[in-house]
Amino acid sequence: MSLRSARPLLLLLAFALAVAAGGVLSSPRQARPQAAPPTPDVSGDVIASGAKKVTIAIPDFTLAGGSDPHSLVKRVPEVLGNDLNFSAAFTVLAGAPALPANNPGALKEAWTGFAAAGAHAALHGLLTNRGDRAEVEMRLYDLTSAEQRLIFSKKFEMPVAQVRRLSHKIADEVVLQYTGELGIADTKIAYTGAAGGIKEVYLMDYDGVGSVKMTTTQSINLSPVWSPDARSIAFTSYMNGYPFLYRLFAFEKRQMQLLAGYGGINSSPAFSPDGKSVALTLSKDGNPEVYVLNLSTGALRRLTSNAAIDTEPSWSPTGREIAFVSDRAGPAQVFVMDAEGTNVRRLTQGGFNTQPRWSPKGDVIVYTSRQGNHDLWAVSPDGSNPRRLTAGPGSNEGASWAPNGRHLVFQSSRLGGFQLFTMLGDGSAQQLLTKGPGEITSGAWSPRLP
Amino acid sequence: MAHRWGSALSVAPLLVLSLFLAGCPKRPATMAASAPAPGVATPPPAAPVAPPPASTAPESTPPAPAAPPAAPAPMPQVAQPAAPVLPRPSEFADNANLKDVYFDFDKYDIRPDAAKILDANATWLKANARNLLLIEGHCDERGTAEYNLALGERRAKSTMNYLVGQGVAASRITVISYGKERPVCTEKTEACWAMNRRAHHLVKAQ
Repeated sequence: MSLRSARPLLLLLAFALAVAAGGVLSSPRQARPQAAPPTPDVSGDVIASGAKKVTIAIPDFTLAGGSDPHSLVKRVPEVLGNDLNFSAAFTVLAGAPALPANNPGALKEAWTGFAAAGAHAALHGLLTNRGDRAEVEMRLYDLTSAEQRLIFSKKFEMPVAQVRRLSHKIADEVVLQYTGELGIADTKIAYTGAAGGIKEVYLMDYDGVGSVKMTTTQSINLSPVWSPDARSIAFTSYMNGYPFLYRLFAFEKRQMQLLAGYGGINSSPAFSPDGKSVALTLSKDGNPEVYVLNLSTGALRRLTSNAAIDTEPSWSPTGREIAFVSDRAGPAQVFVMDAEGTNVRRLTQGGFNTQPRWSPKGDVIVYTSRQGNHDLWAVSPDGSNPRRLTAGPGSNEGASWAPNGRHLVFQSSRLGGFQLFTMLGDGSAQQLLTKGPGEITSGAWSPRLP
Repeated sequence: MAHRWGSALSVAPLLVLSLFLAGCPKRPATMAASAPAPGVATPPPAAPVAPPPASTAPESTPPAPAAPPAAPAPMPQVAQPAAPVLPRPSEFADNANLKDVYFDFDKYDIRPDAAKILDANATWLKANARNLLLIEGHCDERGTAEYNLALGERRAKSTMNYLVGQGVAASRITVISYGKERPVCTEKTEACWAMNRRAHHLVKAQ
């Protein structure tokens, strides 16, 4: 057996070992048709910093029709390549020239070369431009199989103006094929941007591109959070003088809606997982308490009844429990209660702990702990295994989960003024996401877009 | 510590009650028009707050999701009881006779030095009974925005309760918390933080 022909086999063997060792990734879904189990209450974090990554080759796309004045054959693979690198499930080999169309021989030669360079998979894109619309057929190949098997193909079509979104959707599909769960590239992040004493709500792609101002209230706006259908954002605003709770519709020409305008503070919104209600903090009865507002009837249900501050509710993904912050036992701590307000138990000990954010997978709650500076910590919902995720510099706070329960966006003052950063759920892969202008805070990661 | 809770609990509901009783002369609709919420027999009263500024629609809409729901579900309309009609904070102005009071870190009880200042403030307020009072509660930058919103309100209410205890009518007083959003000093030093942990007084002629 020549070295040349032996190499793919060796790679295959190494890959199989890696799969066995990593135990999680690197196996195309076709090989595990039942790879996406029904979502349980709690599921493990399958992408951590130590997991083996799939190396995927993504040459420039092939122009299959029309002209390409915006060079989409390069832009699309660049955007989705960044998505796949960010996913922490892939390492992308990019920059190879486009393959000729309808040339199986050239394809086989290219894939053999990529396999020899260590690639486990390859993505071939065929792009057709039709005026202001672009169509991409993605073809995903398993380079660990001797026959370089085509394991998945799908067509996407979108206006050229939304070519980044088209790219994100392809990336999410690749992640789905290899992990059993859609990626998170086709998501947005809402945040507040400060300038001259006012704070407005903005929206951008999850990768920090394309900021759009969502409010023009010339006032203070705080704490944006997404509804589970990714259509609306609830937030506290001083636009009418006092801190009232509103929601805006991110993708529709609809007027804002007032959710709560009681005396005192109306703040800290958190949509229930079924989207039918919003947990919030009201001080209308004299003291900050957690309530649940039924969005269709307007009925308010008070959950806490305590002379202390009770605020910052965060639902478990099942909707059966709510984490919240209270200073009823001294400095602020994170507590958990049943969704009816009963069965209150303390989750955190020591320090000064706020901003609980329950993972969409249910298995962990991140929170902000002050022990000197602020840093992000994680704890199991039963209070076990508290662990530090960040260790300065500056303050690190206000985490928000991506819908995969693996990535977090948070704000850090490590570079001076607050900016948004991202990291994995174990605190690894911390990286800068925004660069102003002004301070950027309260990042809120959207659910997957409809 | 008893002081910390006692007076706050006795007086704060009075404020809310009095504000509710003040009634509501105008009820501009702030909800966007939509189908009646399912299960609600009569249209809920629109919340009596001033309508949002005309420019509340996003100035530009980001790329819509590729397949927005063909027929969007009717937007749920949130019924609300009559909310208090509060004087707008922008109608109040600083007054040189009313001094700020300061708080310890993560505390909202009135310190002895603050009590002396509030005694003087109360004397002026009683002598100038035509003035409505707005008390702003503020926090330093440490701590999270949401928690500081609650803490700032506690500071404003502690201040209000002290003044009421000195004979200032509760019906003249409105409180607002700005949390940590409006610092007077932006350096990251204890001296600066101490200046930001404050209750500020503003007045408006009745």
